[in-house]
Amino acid sequence: MRIFFDAEVLAAAWPGICSGIGVTLGLALTSIAAGVALGLVLATVRALLRGAPLRPVGGLIAAYADVFRAMPPLVLLVVLYFAAPFAGIELSGFMAAFVALGLVLGASAEEIFWAGITSVNRGQWEAALSTGLSRGEAFRRVVLPQAVRLTIPPLTNRAIATGKNTALASVVAVPEVLNQAASVQAQTASPAPLLLAAGVYVALFLPLVRIGRWLETRFHIR
Amino acid sequence: MSAVLELRGVGKTFAGVPALRDIHLAVGTSELVALIGPSGSGKSTLLRCCNRLTEPDGGEVVFEGSPVPAGGAELASVRRRMGMVFQAFNLYPHLNALENAALAPRRAAGLGQGEAETAAREALERVGLGDRTTAMPDELSGGQQQRVAIARALALRPRILLLDEPTSALDPELVGSVLRVIRSLKEDGVAMLIATHEIAFAREAADRIAFLADGEILECGPPAEILDRPKSERLQSFLSRL
Repeated sequence: MRIFFDAEVLAAAWPGICSGIGVTLGLALTSIAAGVALGLVLATVRALLRGAPLRPVGGLIAAYADVFRAMPPLVLLVVLYFAAPFAGIELSGFMAAFVALGLVLGASAEEIFWAGITSVNRGQWEAALSTGLSRGEAFRRVVLPQAVRLTIPPLTNRAIATGKNTALASVVAVPEVLNQAASVQAQTASPAPLLLAAGVYVALFLPLVRIGRWLETRFHIR
Repeated sequence: MSAVLELRGVGKTFAGVPALRDIHLAVGTSELVALIGPSGSGKSTLLRCCNRLTEPDGGEVVFEGSPVPAGGAELASVRRRMGMVFQAFNLYPHLNALENAALAPRRAAGLGQGEAETAAREALERVGLGDRTTAMPDELSGGQQQRVAIARALALRPRILLLDEPTSALDPELVGSVLRVIRSLKEDGVAMLIATHEIAFAREAADRIAFLADGEILECGPPAEILDRPKSERLQSFLSRL
């Protein structure tokens, strides 16, 4: 027990982990916001172009979603950080993690929004268009608000997964919670900081998991 | 009597199957024309071709003297003046009755928020729901929902209403309330083209009845002529099975 909860080591690790919490939260919030926004924009473009001459654009968006849902975020992250410099693209560890997590969440979010949009009854589009609303207004005022209700529970789950995946950034030297804990662990050869980090992650994300469950019942579709 | 809406040789084919063939039909100012005919005879398709929710592939639809434009803001402007009421109501479930009726006046006709709500409130009063403006669609009966849908069309002060079997999805005891509203609109001089299975209603309220079978208008004329002296065998057998 002493090995796992070595008070001296924990005290030494605590300031680093505290600053790591800020980095973890900063990375989580920015990549979740970017990913959700990306998914919403792509699904909107796909919905508004449906049936229009620019249909191939919808195909491209669907292809992006498929590829990035098939890509492990860790692989994308190391590619962006270690391989992209050879193509002249230099990203900091934080930027590489932000882009990787944002792209992966964007793909899932696009699919979730798209599923929500397509599950709104065609009659809703028709009613809105029959009153002279433009496609854009019909989408914004009638279809999207109904689609969003359907997307909130799955989107919350993907957002939580993205938040947890910020720990991957430790492999590209982003000083987030896990990275801070691992460096103290390396210096002291004690596992205690890792357990502390695990506790911090649970403390950070458990409330989100609970909120997610509440949202699921709140937005349960009759 | 000048025609508000006129179909000139309109045709439509779905995947090789003709749904409408060479439809000629005019609806005059203040006129109520009822479309009757078996399910699948093309009544809905005919109505949907009028405002191009379904794109006709032949002929011409003329509204207030001009062909209905193919798309864009010109089509939207025609649709505003050509209200449509659907069999399944298609109310917006996330908006209350007033918001349902005020959305298009605000966002399509460009009225201010106050004017749009006034137009919506007047339309709801006209269908007898002035006291239910804040009710959500799922708090209303089917008959009330359909009356909100009629109000949603009326709030734009349309020149004609297209009604696609407005009472077919209703429980029998709720049909009367909707038909009463349609009758009162007729008394106010609103032109209407209505697909219906309510033959008694068509007899009493329609100026003319058009009988559709297999996408063709086989007979068209005053109710007494169509319902009491049917000429074609198809219409005779259709009426005998009611």
